Amino acid sequence: MTWLKLVEGYMPMQMISELAICILVFSIINYSLKKAGMGLPKFWAGIFVWAFVNLFYLKYRIYPPIPFSVRAIYGTVSACGIFMWVSGSQPEWEEFKRPIINVLDAKTGFTKALRMALLILLPIGLWGFAYNSFLPSFDEPIELRTVHPAPPATTKVHGKTYVLQTAANPYRINPEGKYDQAYSNAHIVDQSMGRLMKDVKSAEDNPWDPNAKGYIKHVREGGEIFFQNCHFCHGDNLNGRGLWAFAFNPIPANFTDAGTIAQLQETFVFWRVAKGGIGLPGEGFPWASVMPPWEQHLSVDEIWKVIMFEYWHTGYYPRTWE
Amino acid sequence: MGRLFIQMTRGKKKLFAAMALMVMGGLLLLPIFLSVTAVASGGGAPAGGPPADVVAAQKEGAEGEEKKVEMGRDVYYKTEGPAIGMPAPITADNETFYPRYNFESRVLLWVANQQHLYYGSFVLAVPIFCMCIEFAGMVSKDKAMAKKYDQLAYDFIKISLTAYSLTAILGGILIFTFLTLYPAFFGYLSGIFRPVMHIYALMFVAESGTLYIYYYGWDKMREGVMKWVHLSMSVILNVIGTVLMFLANSWIGFMMSPAGVDEQGRYLGNIWHVLHTALWNPLNVHRILGNMAFGGGVVAAYAAYRFLSSKTDEERAHYDWMGYIAMSLGVAFLIPLPFAGYWLMREVYAYRQQMGITLMGGLLAWLFIIQATMIGILFLTTNYYLWQALGRMTGGERFQKYIKYLVFILVCGLLVFITPHTIVMTPAELKAMGGQQHPVLGNYGVMSAKNGGINAIIMTTILSFIWYQRGNRVPTVSWAKFGNIFMGCFFVIGQLNNIWLACYGYFIPANVRIGLSVPQVAGTLSCLLLMTPLNLAMLKGARPLGPIQWGKIAPRSQYALIMLATAFTWMMGLMGYIRSSVRLFWHVNEVMRDNSPWAYTHTIGFAANVISFNVLFFWISIMFVFWLGTLGAKKVPVPSTAGQPVPSPQPATGH
Repeated sequence: MTWLKLVEGYMPMQMISELAICILVFSIINYSLKKAGMGLPKFWAGIFVWAFVNLFYLKYRIYPPIPFSVRAIYGTVSACGIFMWVSGSQPEWEEFKRPIINVLDAKTGFTKALRMALLILLPIGLWGFAYNSFLPSFDEPIELRTVHPAPPATTKVHGKTYVLQTAANPYRINPEGKYDQAYSNAHIVDQSMGRLMKDVKSAEDNPWDPNAKGYIKHVREGGEIFFQNCHFCHGDNLNGRGLWAFAFNPIPANFTDAGTIAQLQETFVFWRVAKGGIGLPGEGFPWASVMPPWEQHLSVDEIWKVIMFEYWHTGYYPRTWE
Repeated sequence: MGRLFIQMTRGKKKLFAAMALMVMGGLLLLPIFLSVTAVASGGGAPAGGPPADVVAAQKEGAEGEEKKVEMGRDVYYKTEGPAIGMPAPITADNETFYPRYNFESRVLLWVANQQHLYYGSFVLAVPIFCMCIEFAGMVSKDKAMAKKYDQLAYDFIKISLTAYSLTAILGGILIFTFLTLYPAFFGYLSGIFRPVMHIYALMFVAESGTLYIYYYGWDKMREGVMKWVHLSMSVILNVIGTVLMFLANSWIGFMMSPAGVDEQGRYLGNIWHVLHTALWNPLNVHRILGNMAFGGGVVAAYAAYRFLSSKTDEERAHYDWMGYIAMSLGVAFLIPLPFAGYWLMREVYAYRQQMGITLMGGLLAWLFIIQATMIGILFLTTNYYLWQALGRMTGGERFQKYIKYLVFILVCGLLVFITPHTIVMTPAELKAMGGQQHPVLGNYGVMSAKNGGINAIIMTTILSFIWYQRGNRVPTVSWAKFGNIFMGCFFVIGQLNNIWLACYGYFIPANVRIGLSVPQVAGTLSCLLLMTPLNLAMLKGARPLGPIQWGKIAPRSQYALIMLATAFTWMMGLMGYIRSSVRLFWHVNEVMRDNSPWAYTHTIGFAANVISFNVLFFWISIMFVFWLGTLGAKKVPVPSTAGQPVPSPQPATGH
């Protein structure tokens, strides 16, 4: 259902709102049918809602496709929710289980036939399930990857030791030349596509201004380093979809995602850039990163500048603890 | 004249009994005071230092020479102090440091520790409930209710008494396991905590004495001033119990965030620094609340078990009521528990960033998703129980038709709360998704959304409680209409505020985002602390629609209580594992390395299996305890007419 767009920036709330609207519409329809004496039995209503959410909405409406493990979680939780709904009160519970009891008691010809069919089909279904689970699988195995392993307390780059908890980006400075995250935060432009030349109000905010100095000048320098070294994998828009990105599995980190650099301290990014995939700690199993250790190609200053550019471009702020 | 004499004699007897009790209490507490004074004044052999005879020999040998004391720097407080303790042993993978059976020693210790903790938590929590319930009974003006509360408190303490013996036995097993399998580590730890361990043992004696007097003196001290003395004993009991727990917490606090020692692990002479580590207080608060919630859950499960096996309506009524009270107490402490957990994690991050990331974003992050699922189960089950409980009230059906809307909010909140940040997927799914994070669901995986999810769930639970309170009553106060509108608006605004802040969190820096949890929590707590009293005020003089028919509740509700207790138990086992394994390959973080062959992190599946085994073992053993509890109180079944409404639960026969 890609014809119905998920609006970037609002997708999570859009999903919940759409589900809420659907459930509301179902409630209204069912209420109207009940008033007309044709209400859907609770048993079928419960099955319908579960099937709609899990087999239709989550499978076909949300794109890119949701991995099975998450759909399995959602399916289980929604099944529990539906059970809570249909058994919330005794009359509702009686209504829900009536068709089940009718089939089990089997007093009519139809229910007798249905019971017989179920008695035959259920074991066959279970057998099929068991058979499938024993078939050899040639898929690559699932790996629980730790994307952001815990960093070490210190890291040594170009002969100097940095304490990750206390180190700071030396280029994140205000016009007085002092470290000032609030100042740099205030000069991040609007978080949307095409932000490079948008909403730039003054030379202080414009990295391409020939008179730019201080923080914004260092951002430009970081950008130059990024486009010379990093964009091939991490992409022009820093979304992890560079020219070479799809040669790798997994594809490179998407910095525009709220779950990557926005969650990390600047020193964490410094450590990861400097040490690359090969420098991942044991916790970073299965070390699925081909990023080179950039300390072999870039100076410390260049690493700090490129990190600053990444934050500036994505509109995110490095995590701080105070 | 004769009557006056008898009265005086009775008065004297009471006075004498009270004085005797006080003397006994004083004697029980005396060793503790003496030990505390000794520790406070720095008396006794220094912890971790050489024995007294060695010190004396050294003194003699060094006669005339100037005594040199090496100074050390505290790894946490950064203060200087005399390095009087032995350094932490540098162990190696051999039988000397790690004697072993042909089995993983760590798992043996894990099971012993977990079982001791389960029982310890239970026997620390239940007396607190007893204290509250006994007090409620004493101040109650309704004689019948007072008697019911008193009986309930007695039932509670009766359950915990057998469990108390088991706690002590399991504690002994734990120590033996430490001594036989991890002698080097335990030797080092007991060297540091030597005085604290002695105080701990003495407090255990005091706790036992107080508990036995409290239990066996129940009948003797049931009237007048003696009842107050009895209640005071429960206060003493709980003070001792809480201090006991704080002391035990200091050991795990030290293992996670050591203080009071230098880099080599040498004790620097300040026992308060060793106790008062970075994580001690957050652990204390978190554990008190956790124990209470757990204790409530276990007692509720006991009541559910008794309800389901009841033969008479009277019994069913009593255990239905007992289950309700226990569940309410447990949930009352469950609600602030996530906030205490939040504080603990904040302190963990402040102490060591790596530790925080390993927990919440790295190696152990998936276990937190399981934890979130368990928290969700707890709240959903609580709501379900309350909705079922509406069924035993005339008028409860007014609210039951709205259950589906609450279900929707709860399910949405839970789905957001448990969506993992790092999704388990096949490489093919990864390629189809185009990256590690899903563009829609990835947003649910971070803290801002999760805070919104859990607050939505808690607010809905509070609403369910308010509906339950109103179940069979209609407010008649003149401002009832206004009150209802105000309350409705308050909840709607609370939820909107919560959702808005959860969305807004994506557009601001992380440090400001963390601060957003404060207004979110404030909204939730406002619903709890303002709306519940408002509801009670509205219900003053309310028109009853009918009595609560205790015992007339669907059996599903009792299974919900059992599930609640099981979820508590499983979650406790899980969180204990997470807290312990975050030290990775350290016995004492950054001070004493674990060089045993088991210094690795288990797979999630293996850990889940051991946790499940622990849960199963605990429930089998506690069933035995429950059964023992029934042995002493066998009553002749009272014939009853089936289907007859039960106006109120009847207290059981004499103690």
